Amino acid sequence: MAKLHISFENGNPEQVVEFDPSQAPFHHDGEPGSILDILLGHGVELEHACGGNCACTTCHVIVTQGMAHLTENEEEEDDMLDKAPGLVSTSRLGCQAVMAEGEVKIRIPRHTINQQV
Amino acid sequence: MPSSPTFTATIEKIIERTPDTRSFFLRVANGRKLSFVPGQFLSFLLPAGGETLTRAYTIASLPGEEDCFEICLNQVDGGPGSSYLFSRKEADVLCFTGPWGNFVLDQPTDAEYIFIADRVGVVPFRPMIARLLTAGGHHTARLLYAAPQAGDLLYTDEWQRWEGQYAYFSFRPLIAECEPEEYSIEKGLLPYVEQHFVKGVRQYSRRFYICGIGRPVLLLRDLLRGAGYERQAVKYEKW
Ligand SMILES: Cc1cc2nc3c(=O)[nH]c(=O)nc-3n(C[C@H](O)[C@H](O)[C@H](O)COP(=O)(O)OP(=O)(O)OC[C@H]3O[C@@H](n4cnc5c(N)ncnc54)[C@H](O)[C@@H]3O)c2cc1C
Ligand code: FES
Repeated sequence: MAKLHISFENGNPEQVVEFDPSQAPFHHDGEPGSILDILLGHGVELEHACGGNCACTTCHVIVTQGMAHLTENEEEEDDMLDKAPGLVSTSRLGCQAVMAEGEVKIRIPRHTINQQV
Repeated sequence: MPSSPTFTATIEKIIERTPDTRSFFLRVANGRKLSFVPGQFLSFLLPAGGETLTRAYTIASLPGEEDCFEICLNQVDGGPGSSYLFSRKEADVLCFTGPWGNFVLDQPTDAEYIFIADRVGVVPFRPMIARLLTAGGHHTARLLYAAPQAGDLLYTDEWQRWEGQYAYFSFRPLIAECEPEEYSIEKGLLPYVEQHFVKGVRQYSRRFYICGIGRPVLLLRDLLRGAGYERQAVKYEKW
């Protein structure tokens, strides 16, 4: 079993999801086995305005532990992350970062919004 | 459910643009206006198959058309989101969040703008090009628009009218002349881009905007960035 710890900058209580990576996909949005897929499949909300297609930054998460357990960023994710508010060196897009093992801790930023108007 | 505000809109009119592509004209409830930046999309919450799907559709309206706005989409074989929308009728109600997205024009510069559309991926370019042409400053802009058949092209009258009206805008349809199942960007679009913007290129000040479906968008991105255009000068949206 793999473990994903989620904390929220908006003060919501922390959550832990334990899951069997071989069961992915858990939902129908984002890359199968991605942080977004795992969260939605276990009842934890994460904004995903473009439907998990790497075309917005609303699924931005900050990885605080276990980056090595996630697939590496592709150019497409980096291009999109450039536009994320509150970007840090361990930022990832929840719909693109796939977790296949181990224990990962993430923080969901308060501002995931990239509405421009 | 998303944490951002959700709006409802009534389908005021549906028009068939090609046999598998429709425009939906939507009016937001309570007389709200939809204020958007050309190129942005709305995120629709579609109750299809017992679940709520999230599907993005770009705002096809021209800037300023804020009362009754348009989305334009084609039916994807076996696709639950597009099939749900194609089963809607006038007066039905849809829920959405947004507008969202960063695939928008940069501050206009003197650079030449090249818009590269693969099939229905032309939708964001309608408001973007309209904004560019009417912004003043006479920005040179070209639209390269690829499709399997001439009958698949969307908004052709408008592109042609703009071409006649603005000397600095040109429209280049690239028709593969094949069935949709046999279509690929190798049949026209990719060789055209290679020949005109890659081979022997000496000026790198152009700005590219690419929009289309799946991997071909990344192929075009890699071709242009690989040819030496700056990363920021090659923007794209992959559906
Ligand atoms: C930012 C953004 C804006 C978008 N704007 C539009 C729009 O204005 N008009 C529009 O038609 N679609 C648009 N799309 C695509 C749309 O969100 C859906 O992905 C599409 O309608 C398919 O959903 P589905 O549930 O029917 O099929 P799914 O089962 O979800 O099918 C997904 C597959 O279809 C491919 N696909 C996506 N769009 C198309 C398409 N138009 N034609 C053929 N294959 C497609 C995807 O690459 C993927 O392989 C947009 C997507 C994004 C990310
Ligand atoms: S949901 Fe839009 S980029 Fe992840």
